[in-house]
Amino acid sequence: MTATTLNETLTTESDRVRLRLNTTYYRLELRRIMRDKVTLFFTVGLPAVMYVIFGASPDYGDDPIRDGNVAMWIMIAMAAYGAVSATTGIGGSAAIERMQGWTRQLGLTPMRPAEFVAVKAATAMTVAAAPIFIVFAIGALTGASAPLHVWVLSALVLVVGAMTFALYGLGFGLALRSEAAVSAAGGALVVMAFFGNIFVPLNGWQLLVAKFTPLYGYVSLARRPLTGGNTIDPETGDLIPEPLWQVLANVSFWTVAFAILTMVLVQKGRGRQ
Amino acid sequence: MTTTHTPTIHLRGVQRTFASPDPEVGEVRAVDGIDLDIRPGEIVALLGPNGAGKTTTLDMVLGFTEPTAGAITVFGMAPQEAVLSGRVAAVLQTGGLLRDLTVRETVELVASTHPNPDSVDGVIDRAGLAAIQQQRVQSCSGGEQQRLRFALALLGDPDLLVLDEPTTGMDVAARHEFWASMRAEAEKGRTIVFATHYLQEAEDFAERTVLMANGRIVADGPTDEVRRHAAGRRLSARVPDDRLDAVLAEMADLPIVRSAVIERDRLVVETNDSDEIARLLLGSLGGTDLEIEAASLETAFIQLTRTGGAS
Repeated sequence: MTATTLNETLTTESDRVRLRLNTTYYRLELRRIMRDKVTLFFTVGLPAVMYVIFGASPDYGDDPIRDGNVAMWIMIAMAAYGAVSATTGIGGSAAIERMQGWTRQLGLTPMRPAEFVAVKAATAMTVAAAPIFIVFAIGALTGASAPLHVWVLSALVLVVGAMTFALYGLGFGLALRSEAAVSAAGGALVVMAFFGNIFVPLNGWQLLVAKFTPLYGYVSLARRPLTGGNTIDPETGDLIPEPLWQVLANVSFWTVAFAILTMVLVQKGRGRQ
Repeated sequence: MTTTHTPTIHLRGVQRTFASPDPEVGEVRAVDGIDLDIRPGEIVALLGPNGAGKTTTLDMVLGFTEPTAGAITVFGMAPQEAVLSGRVAAVLQTGGLLRDLTVRETVELVASTHPNPDSVDGVIDRAGLAAIQQQRVQSCSGGEQQRLRFALALLGDPDLLVLDEPTTGMDVAARHEFWASMRAEAEKGRTIVFATHYLQEAEDFAERTVLMANGRIVADGPTDEVRRHAAGRRLSARVPDDRLDAVLAEMADLPIVRSAVIERDRLVVETNDSDEIARLLLGSLGGTDLEIEAASLETAFIQLTRTGGAS
C-alpha cells in the first residue's frame, strides 16, 4: 500500500466534488490506536481468546452446519464482537475529540467535514478488519470450516456492518459527553452481544427478544452465508428457517436510528462547546 | 491580494443572543450590535473584561457561530468560506489538541489539511517547539500547548491571524517569548486580531485597541488614546467633615475627574490625571491620608459603559 495510490484525487468533473483520503491523518489515527495497548487487547485479543475457549476447544465445534461447522458459527460471532468493539471505540473517541475542541481546531483548517468523515470511516474499517482477520486466521488454523465463499462473504458483511456501531459509539459519546460514557458504550455491547445471539445460542422467548436488538441483525447477516438463512436451536441442533427481511429490517432500523440520533446530537452541539 | 478597499474584517450591526440556561432570564445578549472594520495589515487588540463578548465576536468572525442579526464578511466572503480558503487562521483559547499525539505529529496532521502548507520543520522552529517536538501533547505545559496552537495557525501562511486570549495560563517568561514570536509574524504583513483582558498586552503589541464591555464597543482608536480612557487612577483621601460637600462639588466640576463620590467618609475620585488631583487634594483642599491605586480595568469599563462610552 503506497501513499500515492491512496492519495490519488478522485475528481468528478460534473459537480467538482473532491474526495481525497488524507493519508497522513489516516496513518496518525492508526498510530494513536496502536498506542492504546489496553483497548487494543480488548478489541483484538479478547475475541480471539473467547473463540479459542468457546469455538475451537469444545467437541461440539466439529458438529456440522450445512457445509461448515459450529466452530465457524462461533468464530463469526466472536469476530463480530471484536469488530463492533473496535468501531464503537472509534465513534466514542470521535465524540471525546469533539468535546475537547479538536473538531473546532479542524474547523479552522481548509479540511472539509466530508474529508474528516472519510478519514474516520477508513480508520474504523481498518480497525474493524483487525479482529476479524485475526479471529478468522486462528479459526482457519483450529478447525473452523466452511466453503471459501462463506469466509469471504462473512468477512465483508462483518467489516461493512461494523460501521453502524461507529455511529452508535459516536451517538453514545455525544449524548452523555464524558469519557466514562464511551467506556459504558463498550460495556453495553456485552449485554447487546448476549442478546445478539453472539455469546450463547438463544431460543424461545430470549430469541424472540433478541431479534429486536441491534447486534442480532448484524451477526445473523454475517452468519447467513454459513447457515443459509437459519437459526440454530441450541438444544436440538436443528436449523430453524429465518426470513431474510427480518434480518435486513433489524440492520436497517438500527443503522437509521443511530444515524438520526447522531445527526440530531451533532446539530444540538454546534456552536460553543 | 484584495484591494485595500475591502476590509479584512467587516461587521455591521452584529448581534448574538444565546438562550440562557436559567429560564427566568430567557435570553442573554452576548454581542449587542457592533460595527467594526479592520483593514489589511492592522494589528488590533480586542480588550475587555470576561463576559464582554470578545470570544463570541471572534467565534462569529471564524464562522463557528452565526450572528443573530447583522452582517459579517471576512475578505469580502462569508466567514466559513474565508476559513476554508485558508486565508484565516486562529489560535484557540483552550483545548483543540489531541493529547496522545506528539507535538510534531500534531503539526504534521494539521499541515496535511492544507493544500500548500509551510514546511513542518520551519513552523516548529518559528514557534519555538524544536526542543519538545517528540513530546506528547499531554505532557506539555500550558505555555507549550499554546505555542503549538500558534504553530498550527502558521501552517497555512494566513493573511489574517485571530487569537483568543493567547497567553492565558502562561507565566511571564512564556508570555514574553510568545509575543516576541508574534511580532516576527506581524512583520510579515499579516493582519492580527487578538482578544485579551490585559491592558498591558494591548499596549505592548496593538496599534489599535477596540474596547468592549457588555457586548458593545465602548471605545475604538489608537491604543494610547484608548488607554487613557481605560487606565484611570483611583484616589481616596480623608477630608474634614465640614468641607466635604464643597470639595466634592469642586472635584466633580473638574474636567479631568471621571467621578467623585463619598465612600465611608472618604472622598473617592477617579481620574486620568492622578498627579494633578493629588496636588489639589493635599494642597488647597486640605485632604489627608491620601491613597492612590490603579483603577482596575473592570472599573474603567463600568465607567465607560455608564457614561455611554468614549468616541
